[in-house]
Amino acid sequence: MSSRSRIGALFCVGVAVIGTMTYSQSLVDARALAVGAYAPAVRDTREFPANPAGLVQMRDWDFSVTTYTGTAPESFGFVFHALSFGKRLYEEGALAVRYAPGTEITFVVPTTLFIGEGNIPASIDREIRYREPFALGFGHRILPSLSAGFGVRYRREEVADIRYTLVIRDTIAYPSASPVTYASSAWLADLGFQWKAADRLSVSALARNLLSLRNGDTGDPLDAYLLSTSPAAELGVGYVPLTALSLFASASTRGNGALSAEWLPGMGISVRGSLFMDRNDASFMQAFSAGLGWTYEFLDIDAGYLRFFDRSSHTGTAPAASFDPAGISNLDLNPYSRDRLALSLKVIFGRVRQSLARIEEVKLFGGIYPSSYEMLAYQPIGKVRVRNISAKPIHAKASFFVDRVMDMPTESQPVYILPDQDSEIPLTAVFNEQVKRVQTLTVREGNVFVNATPAEEYDDKQQTRVLIYGKNAWNGDVNTLRYFVTPDDPAILRYSRDVLLQYRDSLSGISGMLERLTKARVLVNTFAGRLLYVGDPKQSADFVQYPSETLTTLGGDCDDMTVCFASLLSSIGVSTAFVDVLPPERPADGHIFLLFDSGVEPRYGSHVSDNPKRYVVRRNQAGVETLWLPIETTLITKGFDEAWTRGAQRYFDDVEVGLGLVKGWVRIVDVN
Amino acid sequence: MKTIVLMLILGVACGVAPAAESIIIQRADGEVSVRHGVAEVWNKVAPGDVLRPNDTMRTGKGGNVVLLVQWGTTATSKKMSLPPHVIVDMSDIRDLTQEELMLKLTMEKVRGASYQWKNDGMVIPDAAVVHGANNATAAPLSENDIQTGRLQLNGVRVLYENGFFASCVLRAMEVFRLYPALSSSFEHRLMLAEAMEKANLRGEALAEYGAVSRLEGLTSGQQVQVQGRIQTLRK
Repeated sequence: MSSRSRIGALFCVGVAVIGTMTYSQSLVDARALAVGAYAPAVRDTREFPANPAGLVQMRDWDFSVTTYTGTAPESFGFVFHALSFGKRLYEEGALAVRYAPGTEITFVVPTTLFIGEGNIPASIDREIRYREPFALGFGHRILPSLSAGFGVRYRREEVADIRYTLVIRDTIAYPSASPVTYASSAWLADLGFQWKAADRLSVSALARNLLSLRNGDTGDPLDAYLLSTSPAAELGVGYVPLTALSLFASASTRGNGALSAEWLPGMGISVRGSLFMDRNDASFMQAFSAGLGWTYEFLDIDAGYLRFFDRSSHTGTAPAASFDPAGISNLDLNPYSRDRLALSLKVIFGRVRQSLARIEEVKLFGGIYPSSYEMLAYQPIGKVRVRNISAKPIHAKASFFVDRVMDMPTESQPVYILPDQDSEIPLTAVFNEQVKRVQTLTVREGNVFVNATPAEEYDDKQQTRVLIYGKNAWNGDVNTLRYFVTPDDPAILRYSRDVLLQYRDSLSGISGMLERLTKARVLVNTFAGRLLYVGDPKQSADFVQYPSETLTTLGGDCDDMTVCFASLLSSIGVSTAFVDVLPPERPADGHIFLLFDSGVEPRYGSHVSDNPKRYVVRRNQAGVETLWLPIETTLITKGFDEAWTRGAQRYFDDVEVGLGLVKGWVRIVDVN
Repeated sequence: MKTIVLMLILGVACGVAPAAESIIIQRADGEVSVRHGVAEVWNKVAPGDVLRPNDTMRTGKGGNVVLLVQWGTTATSKKMSLPPHVIVDMSDIRDLTQEELMLKLTMEKVRGASYQWKNDGMVIPDAAVVHGANNATAAPLSENDIQTGRLQLNGVRVLYENGFFASCVLRAMEVFRLYPALSSSFEHRLMLAEAMEKANLRGEALAEYGAVSRLEGLTSGQQVQVQGRIQTLRK
């Protein structure tokens, strides 16, 4: 053959048909394949790039793997598609990565150039390859009903071609071919949201290719085959009309979308189906899919089948003249994809049990007053609203724990909750002694756990803020003032014993029934002269000194002195009660003073006073009527008699004349 | 019980019986004295003196007092005479409402309810016996002077006769507490029962009549009288 003929043959180019070697043509998971409108349905690592916001629903470690095969005889054969790992990093956030060697499509432009004689191909096909081998996603729950996700995909585009040059050798030009690969890579970022708009309604929104960063070769021939990185938006809706049925719909600004359903008939089985639509496809009704799934505790096995309506256009090939990379927005589902069967396996590690309950809301009734911390073991400090998210009735229990000031979580009584119903469970707290060492207002993390039977683990957990007041803070409720009374405080015991010992001789001749009264008089008078009335420091909450502090500082306001004398009297076996006065027309005149049990029976009242207005006949804890003496503790500094006179006067005016006790603006709270 | 108390408090909030706003001594003859507030001394009084609601008046031998009692801003007034040998608290000269009276009586019964705080979810059993009581011999005390109690019961009768049945009931019960010996007096117990009946305390009146019928030494006439009242109340 002459050199002329060789050169002529060199430029003989014919019409070609692009053939594809499609390693991936379906969504990267069997469940995702069967639930085509997948963005609102993402809940783990399975096809998480469809909406990374769904990752927050993962329980702990999550591992999934997928394989697929074409259903046509010439494409049959299972291919490893993708492997994903995910981990819940903290309560509100999760991370996942995916390696997907199967997310790849390769187009081959067959040989159209013949060198030499006999039309023998010389392996000079052009190969166009698209891959998305890596994806990363991170989801974070912003609100209980709203989560956001950020995803990054790595895409690589390559064109492998042959470069021809004429080499002059011995005055004869010879063609020389050398393989050349042109490559470009891009990082594409997506932002997604999942919003639980109502109990049965969820909405998803995604911004695709929100950011793109491309590098690599440019120019001919690569530019002609680069895929679009223009942004697009996707919207999805999930609706649960029945407990076992979920419906999904999604649409994209690229003109495609899907309608899907997932039914859970029981026994861990899922039945799925979808319709795919794409206005860029040869047929608007693009494809349908069907799938089955089976779930057993930590294991999910899924199968999905995708079939295109217009199978003549989804052959995996296309005429070279009509091949348009702009039509490929998804390497896994595009105009060149073919019917597929996918199989997936998902395994979860760590907290593998299916949650039965979910915390809807945590509410604390107020801060913690260390003075009355013992009471909080029996009176709720808050409540948690728990929802049964399982298909069966559950017994749910709530636990509450604050680190350092509690030794272990408290647990509530179990509450029966029907499916899809919620219930409020009261929270109690057993604080340890550490809480009484809190000097100033402090904020601590409080953990609320919910556990539903028959499981052993927590179904849900939520943190809330716990306000712990300083140990001297008082909420103003006279019922809780008694917790400041510490008759068994060694300092109080020592003081009262020392005083009584000092007056031992004069006390020895006193009648048994008048003994308490006399001792109280001695105790009060001894301490009275050393005291000074001092108002509270400026605080957000009322400030009450513990009796030992009053003994040390020798000063305080009415509640400090009332508490101190209640402690002193209690320490020698005298019962006391607080009289809380809050006149409705004069709330600023609110006041507290003390009643103490003289132990004298009413029939001997004249030994206490000739005027019955100076005492109150009350039953003591044993049910015996005795005479109680009102003491105006702020006047203690003027001695027992003056404090008694003023206390009795105030009691008579407020309780007997003003009927304060009957009308409810005077309360008597027994201390011990 | 809490519900009952709450309902009564609400009822009281709707209708409040004011104490007398001013009590003026119009006439005072013989032995008449007053004790102010919680003081222990008795002071002499003269016509024109104004008493306060927390004062107590006492009449002795030949003592007679006429009081002009005024309530509220409408100056509703009433004249009231105190015969000799009575003690009357000025705070008792008022009409308590049915709710106030019932609430006061209820509080007498539920006294000690504030101990219930200990039982709000936390059951701490009390010791059956508190050891360590002082058993040293001590001089016995004498009971209150019963004469003073009689003066007070006479004052209770004045309240009854002037239609202050609620105050009469409460004061009589108080006097019986302070002077238990007087509680065996048929006349005074009967007065208490009748005051309860007139104060629309049917159940309490029945119980009191029952207690009166069990008093020792009643004559057949007294028994018939009491049983008659019981039968009438039961109809």
